[in-house]
Amino acid sequence: MSEQQDGRSLGRRRFFRALGTGSVAAAAGAVMGAKDAQAYDPGPEETKARYRETDDVRAFYRTNGYETLRK
Amino acid sequence: MARLKFLCDANRCIDCNACVTACKNEHDVPWGINRRRVVTINDGKPGERSVSMACMHCTNAPCAAVCPVDCFHATDDGLVLHSKEICIGCGYCFYACPFGAPQFPQATNFGSRGKMDKCTYCAGGPDADLSEAEYVRYGSNRLAEGKLPLCAEMCSTKALLAGDGEIIAQIYKERVVTRGYGSGAWGWKTAYGETITVT
Repeated sequence: MSEQQDGRSLGRRRFFRALGTGSVAAAAGAVMGAKDAQAYDPGPEETKARYRETDDVRAFYRTNGYETLRK
Repeated sequence: MARLKFLCDANRCIDCNACVTACKNEHDVPWGINRRRVVTINDGKPGERSVSMACMHCTNAPCAAVCPVDCFHATDDGLVLHSKEICIGCGYCFYACPFGAPQFPQATNFGSRGKMDKCTYCAGGPDADLSEAEYVRYGSNRLAEGKLPLCAEMCSTKALLAGDGEIIAQIYKERVVTRGYGSGAWGWKTAYGETITVT
């Protein structure tokens, strides 16, 4: 009975030891393979100036100024 | 290079809310979200002023400083735009903004927040200019069409000015000199760290 129990407990210990070693190895692999967080880089296309002084824009400036009222 | 700004001439604003309506219509803004609002100070009392307010596209924008996922970026002409692909709807920007500009749609019936929405200065977003995807996420891109924000362009009393900061400041100065009074460029000190002085 006790030999049977010893055999069973040894088997269980081996199982948990193997499980622990496997978990540590998996965690180490995950840490080694992890990349640093990357900040969002919008790039030149998204940060380019969008404003253009078109005829529409010039008309807006002209009609909003008092200069227009004087003419 | 031009630095794009908004300027509301509070002596001309009559609280008609046309800018608010125009913005909502132009960008198909959903219910419950206002990219622009008209705020009335001292309502019904002497010295009452109405100011049309939206995102002021601040220099050193506080919303961008607190965003945990860095979804904001500033363009070369000073606009503060954001990517809805990256935004997680945390709401930090709302607490940081001195103008209450960031708006959040209700994502579920349990009150969770969706992606942040705010004034884009009618400049769209990170998607391709004038694309369907850009319109759905950010609204129309008038700057790509060579126009200015619709709120300013259709202001009937010409209270709301938009465009190159130096030019609109000059227009405002001329107005103050001509009429002899002015209540200052609202929000400029907070947003741009400067004010307009008329001598």
